[in-house]
Amino acid sequence: MTTILPECDIPIPQRKPHIVCHEPGNMVLPMCNVQTVPGDMTERGCTFAGCRGVVGGPVKDAIQLVHGPIGCAYYTWGTRRNLSDTKLHRKYCFSTDLTEESVIYGGAKKLLNSIIESHELFPEGKAVFVYSTCVVGLIGDDTDAICKQAQEKIGIPVIPFHCEGFRGVSQSLGHHIANRTLFEKVVGTEEPEETTPYDMCIVGEFNIDGDAWIVKPLFERMGVRVLSVFTGNASYSDIPPMHRAKLNIVQCQRSSTYIAKMIQDKYGVPYINVSLFGMAQTAEALRDVGKFFHLEENAEKVIAEELALYQSRIDHYRKKLEGKKCFIYQGAPRAWHWMEPMRELGIETILTATTFGHKDDYEKIMEKAKPGHICIDNPNALEIEEYLVKLKPDFFIGGLKEKYLTYKLGIPFINGHSYEEGPYAGFEGFVNFAKDIDVAVNSPVWKFINQPLEVK
Amino acid sequence: MARSVTINPPKMCQPMGAILAYMGVHGCVPLVHGSQGCSTYPRYNIARHFRESAEVAVSSLAEDAAVYGGAKNLTEAIKNVKSRINPALIGICTTCMSETIGDDVKLISKKAIAPDDTMKIIPASTPSYVGTHLTGYDNAMRALVETLAVKGKPNNKINIITGIINPGDIREIKNMLRIMNVKNIFLSDISETLDTPIMPGGHKPLLPDGGTEPADIIDSANSLGTIAICRTAGSAATYLQNKFKVPAVLAPAPIGVVNNDRFVQNISKLSGAPIPDEIKKDRGRLIDSMVDVHHYMYGRKVAIFGDPDIVSAIVRFCAEAGMNPTVAMTATKHKDFAPDIKAVNTEYKTDTQILEGTDLYEFHKVVEAQGAELILGNSKGKDVADDEGVPLVRFGFPVYDRVGVYRYSIMGYNGSIYLLDQMTNAILDHKYDPNKLHQ
Repeated sequence: MTTILPECDIPIPQRKPHIVCHEPGNMVLPMCNVQTVPGDMTERGCTFAGCRGVVGGPVKDAIQLVHGPIGCAYYTWGTRRNLSDTKLHRKYCFSTDLTEESVIYGGAKKLLNSIIESHELFPEGKAVFVYSTCVVGLIGDDTDAICKQAQEKIGIPVIPFHCEGFRGVSQSLGHHIANRTLFEKVVGTEEPEETTPYDMCIVGEFNIDGDAWIVKPLFERMGVRVLSVFTGNASYSDIPPMHRAKLNIVQCQRSSTYIAKMIQDKYGVPYINVSLFGMAQTAEALRDVGKFFHLEENAEKVIAEELALYQSRIDHYRKKLEGKKCFIYQGAPRAWHWMEPMRELGIETILTATTFGHKDDYEKIMEKAKPGHICIDNPNALEIEEYLVKLKPDFFIGGLKEKYLTYKLGIPFINGHSYEEGPYAGFEGFVNFAKDIDVAVNSPVWKFINQPLEVK
Repeated sequence: MARSVTINPPKMCQPMGAILAYMGVHGCVPLVHGSQGCSTYPRYNIARHFRESAEVAVSSLAEDAAVYGGAKNLTEAIKNVKSRINPALIGICTTCMSETIGDDVKLISKKAIAPDDTMKIIPASTPSYVGTHLTGYDNAMRALVETLAVKGKPNNKINIITGIINPGDIREIKNMLRIMNVKNIFLSDISETLDTPIMPGGHKPLLPDGGTEPADIIDSANSLGTIAICRTAGSAATYLQNKFKVPAVLAPAPIGVVNNDRFVQNISKLSGAPIPDEIKKDRGRLIDSMVDVHHYMYGRKVAIFGDPDIVSAIVRFCAEAGMNPTVAMTATKHKDFAPDIKAVNTEYKTDTQILEGTDLYEFHKVVEAQGAELILGNSKGKDVADDEGVPLVRFGFPVYDRVGVYRYSIMGYNGSIYLLDQMTNAILDHKYDPNKLHQ
């Protein structure tokens, strides 16, 4: 048997299939993408979070209007570090702020007025994205009809996202809903002004702490024209012409393969999966794209230039980090995106976990895992604490909610969701990543953990 | 505000506040009955403000609950929390979802555990479509007291309902009570639970140390009186008064001279304790600090936003210090907010614009019109301050773009000194040629 029941889960044995220890030749994947055990102190969020927070939210010139009571809008206001070169989407929070009256009589009129007013106050908004929260789905507002009516009135696209938080089992369905909505309602509605044989979209790149600003120029230097980034630092107008790309590359393969596949199926645009993290994986992505566009030499040139700039710095950090062991707990793909880059720094990942991974995510983890590697699906706070105490990694790459628990246990931590001092993608970003790990692991602050105060 | 759309609301929903109330109780696990976002988002917010982890359970409602109700999930969640953590209390907060589908949380939770179970369940109704985070705090606090408080022998203590204030504030108020030698029960107390130490070897308890003991909440029915630091959190005080004849004092928050005087006088009246010299000296130091800076601060235009009790108390303090509070804004409506500020306007001949139940978009427009040399508020005021080219002095919740704000008090005489120093130093940084600062 390769599934494990940690001590904290003895009262909830249904968690056992979600936790596996890797044995070579006997690949068992954790059970995944199913309902959370109620009350297990899950770290998961909701469908709204995946739709508004992850995929729709980064579109910088869309008015991001949350239809529902105030909380959901507030909590997604400028939180995820999906940067852009304009301010609208992070500086402003738009909500219909539904109250009891709307719950009883419906929120249709308030939504319609809110869309019109937002447009009047912020004419720089090129579209309005309307996100439905739990209560809207329950009271049955016809947001499709309202958005259509509003669109006719204000003359810019008004896109309804049916992402009520209670739908699905995690954020994951929200990604899918955002992809499908943007594909069905936006992609193909406009043709690009011009096309070239080298047009490509970078899909599933949300410009966390500036990642897109690092990776996009790499492809441009190769001679590729990046038609759109979906959706990091994207303008609304970047999305309609995505169907005219010659190739899509997919970075976040959990949240955004959907749209790449839909574009492939409908428009025949192929897509390839990439990992734009770490030196080797980034180089491989450039080579794959080079091969597709017959720009192999250009790819090699860019890779050589980048390695000349950054490899020595990675070597420097490797010397300081060699032999360390880490945990990686991310939404899903970054858990496996980062296993090989850690090895480039001489670090072995001894435990991975994902909040909303599907089977393909866990396959990718297990392909990279060494014997004894522990993999947890949808871990909860108690499991995380138990494994941190039991396995004592040298550092943990997780999200903000786990950060301070980890600190209290005396274990260094890196925020992999929003980063510490990113960007982390590409060659240059990997230097930042390595530096942050070095800072976390080698700071003198940790020495006091084992120096209790005693009378001498 | 004649708009339908809310833009930049400095307010959160009820579960956020309810979780904070529960987190101030020792051995209490908050359990959100709703979608997973309803626990994850408040946890995130707590983590970024306090730089602490906040463990919150959720019943993980999904589509089947929308059809069949959430009883099954809630029952299972209660059982799982009990079997894994065995807390003294589970504090339930409801959500938009569970309230709209109409789950009877009291009944479900009663059925979920045996009648003689030592673990108690606190059912608070906290739908996000009613009120704000402050309503949620108030509802959870009242639910705690309603469920637990029992008449017994007089305890000679004073209950202090904190409302949503910081660990630093609570420590300062405790310090004042210690100096006055007045025994107390804090309802509730996040001063340790959300400001935890790193201990040797990285050893930590499963649930944080500190917080109000459930036994003290039971005993709150036997106190000399209840003072609500924030009147928005006062319904538990009113409940204790109506049910157990524990006098309720709902007065302004202790910020500035007069409001602190009133606070100390109220403690003295309820407890019979005299006002010690040490308190009088602290008061004297506050006045000394105001005198020291009045040349810098006189007439300074300040615009303030935040939760109503804190904002109105700061408005009065700014007026006491000779400043000119031009705008006072709160997103949470409260009956005392406007009268408090009108009273200051009358007394100090100021003309503070009152914005209630509105948003920061509106606040910004009024700040543009009225002028401000300083903005006071939480981290959400950063853009307004930057656009106006003036400093932001941070207080309240959440403050995530500066460290340590939760550690310091802006309450009590000492906290007021700290707040005034922060304001003055911001003005000195921003308005003064260094040469002008040599004395």
